[in-house]
Amino acid sequence: MTRFPENFEASLNAAAPHGVNLTTTTDDHGVSVMWCELADRDDLSAVGECLRSYHARLAMVTANKPPAPEEEEEEQDEEDEGAAEAEAHVPEQSMSFGGTPQDGTSYELVYHFDVGGDYVNVVAFLPAGGSIASLTPLFRSADWPEREIMEIYSVTITNHPDPRRLFLDESIDGAVLDRLIPFSQMANASTSDELWARVMAAAKEA
Amino acid sequence: MTDHTVACSYKIPVGPLHVALEEPMYFRVAVKGETIETVELNAGHVHRGVEYLATKRTLLQNMILTERICSLCSNSHPEALAMAAETIGAVEVPERAQYLRVIAGEVKRVASHLFNVGILAHLVGYEALFMHAMQVREVAQDLKEAVYGNRMDLGAHCLGGTRCDMDDEAITYMRSALDKLEPDVRELEKTYRTNGSILRRTRGIGILSHADAIACGVVGPVARASGIQYDVRTAAPYHVYDRLPVNVPVLDGCDVWSRAMIRLSEAVNSIEILRVCLDQLPEGPINDGGDPYIPPGQAIARTEAPRGELVYYLKTNDNPEPERLKWRVPSYPNWDALTFMLKEAKVADIAIIVNSIDPCISCTER
Repeated sequence: MTRFPENFEASLNAAAPHGVNLTTTTDDHGVSVMWCELADRDDLSAVGECLRSYHARLAMVTANKPPAPEEEEEEQDEEDEGAAEAEAHVPEQSMSFGGTPQDGTSYELVYHFDVGGDYVNVVAFLPAGGSIASLTPLFRSADWPEREIMEIYSVTITNHPDPRRLFLDESIDGAVLDRLIPFSQMANASTSDELWARVMAAAKEA
Repeated sequence: MTDHTVACSYKIPVGPLHVALEEPMYFRVAVKGETIETVELNAGHVHRGVEYLATKRTLLQNMILTERICSLCSNSHPEALAMAAETIGAVEVPERAQYLRVIAGEVKRVASHLFNVGILAHLVGYEALFMHAMQVREVAQDLKEAVYGNRMDLGAHCLGGTRCDMDDEAITYMRSALDKLEPDVRELEKTYRTNGSILRRTRGIGILSHADAIACGVVGPVARASGIQYDVRTAAPYHVYDRLPVNVPVLDGCDVWSRAMIRLSEAVNSIEILRVCLDQLPEGPINDGGDPYIPPGQAIARTEAPRGELVYYLKTNDNPEPERLKWRVPSYPNWDALTFMLKEAKVADIAIIVNSIDPCISCTER
């Protein structure tokens, strides 16, 4: 028994015509957490609209780039079970709900909503280079989280009313969590006499 | 005679380093005369990439790391992280540990709220009251030091329970400290309720209407001072809060004063909760002795930090390091509310209004 309103799941299903995968857990205190995976990220706005009608509060947005699943060692299989079956295993690509390949290049965005004390986590999957519609027109509190996601990942959020940088300066290349940055460069600690030369040059001019 | 009429607006910078701000945040304020027209926030001055770092540390190491994200809410971070991990691993937390977790959280709440209202007195220019409030807070600081060995980062939690137990001596000391604190906090509440200097500078200042508060999604005392009755401890009870006398004060003044009064009233309530915890504290273990195994999975956990709802999202895989650890601190949505609070405000009130959301910048930017 959850505290979610009657027909809550049905409305979520109706809002997402491409399909949703709902799982709900309720703890000993009677507090529920629902995970709502979207088959198609284009349904996000409609689901957001639906949650808004239940006075949901958008509390947090998490972006994540799941690593590619490790390749399983199939040596034993081949020995034990015959070649035909092993072949059937190999080309299988791990997919998210809705069919976004989980190969280490795709993203998942989790929108965490509070609905009267219970939590609804809407999960949208994005392939590499994919984009997703902004929730900021519906939820003002999506503004900062979406701007933050745009600057730390190569994720495009369309229709954001104010897509400026939030924490990182314009002079820094974006998608910092998608790139390997040498520590010395990141800490700006590389040793050179460039700064000294500039100081001396400035002193001469003065 | 010279014409002194102010015809145009000016833009003035407040911050990133400013005498009235304890941490760096940059406000670009457009003023017309003494009145603020618009405010633009520029953040990122203490962005440290802790979220990335968290994915390079084991869960155990993250218990230490997350406690250092913020000083005033320090206790709530490892608490929420432990709760998320325990949800994934279906780890049962012993009842005594659940009480001890509440105790650590409520002691931190008293100290945090007293610090904020103390700073308010300082910004109002009432230095004697500021020093008095800090002196009262000192009792809470000493209490933390006596029980946990630290004045700020308590290190109270571990995965599956708590690290520090309380013996009879600690319990007796806490009771006597609470007896000392309570009349002082009540006296402070009375002063903030009646003192002319406080009232003149805080009532009707920094208005955040109920509708705007809902739109911004604000949490904690900022939300409750704008008529939103939301406290994680009652809306989504955790630990043993459903057995404790949690009072959720709500005011509809929507101003700086209401926020301060909510904090003082919560500090009084926390003392009451602490007393009940000490009375009810059951015997038993405080953790299961080892580090619990956390299987792959994902979970969300929430606690009511002094500044409001703190949310943790944890996703684990087969590695000891989390695949993703994300948190949203209460200050994060509350910043946005400042654009409403500062609209039409006087330049002289900027610091008072900013302080009223009890901002934490190292929390926000991580």
